[in-house]
Amino acid sequence: MPRYAGHFTICTPMKFSLAIYSAPHASQSAASALRFAKALLAGGHEIYRIFFYCDGVQNSNMIAAPPQDEADLISEWQALQQKHNLDLVVCIAAAQRRGVLSQREAHRLEKPVANLAEGFDLAGLGQLTDAVANSERLITFGG
Amino acid sequence: MTLHIVSKSPFSCQALHDCLQSLVEGDALLLIEDGVYALQHQALQSLQETRIYCLTADSEARGLQTSSAPDSVEIIDDTRWVQLCTEHNPIVSWFR
Repeated sequence: MPRYAGHFTICTPMKFSLAIYSAPHASQSAASALRFAKALLAGGHEIYRIFFYCDGVQNSNMIAAPPQDEADLISEWQALQQKHNLDLVVCIAAAQRRGVLSQREAHRLEKPVANLAEGFDLAGLGQLTDAVANSERLITFGG
Repeated sequence: MTLHIVSKSPFSCQALHDCLQSLVEGDALLLIEDGVYALQHQALQSLQETRIYCLTADSEARGLQTSSAPDSVEIIDDTRWVQLCTEHNPIVSWFR
């Protein structure tokens, strides 16, 4: 099968999930994931879920305050979530370890701060398995 | 056919090396982020049969001359990146 149909390729919409393993400040990979997510949506594809794991949970830390001349990925994820009603899921065990807590978890663990950004949900690793089972493609962003 | 995505420089990381160990005929290689530095690495010279892609935003951000890249390398934008991901399965990311 030819890779090109003339100059353009006919592309049927697909269901994608993304797994993000890196903090926004640590490397380029979370920013790449955001760019890729935007390109997916622009191409008419569906994002079934974006799963934040390991240091990737820092993408949902709403009290992180990056310098003004650096990208604010947390706000950008939130804006994209609102616009496209994305399912942004943060691994609960990875988040607890790194101090990213929802109101409910902060209360349960008797911590003074809840800092999970709006638009993100805490859930277990089962949600990554579910994403793999229900998506046609899983792309991992790490390092 | 697998799409291998390498995001680390071959000058500082084993990622490309490890990727090439598992690459089989028909697979494609995509260089992103610091992975684009592979354009200046001899490892690509041995990949005559493999389709190699390089993300233009990342090579431009690093000031790499894509004109001097091997002929087998196709310089692509984000739209084509998405398209490559629809054409290949699975997609394996190399970043360690």
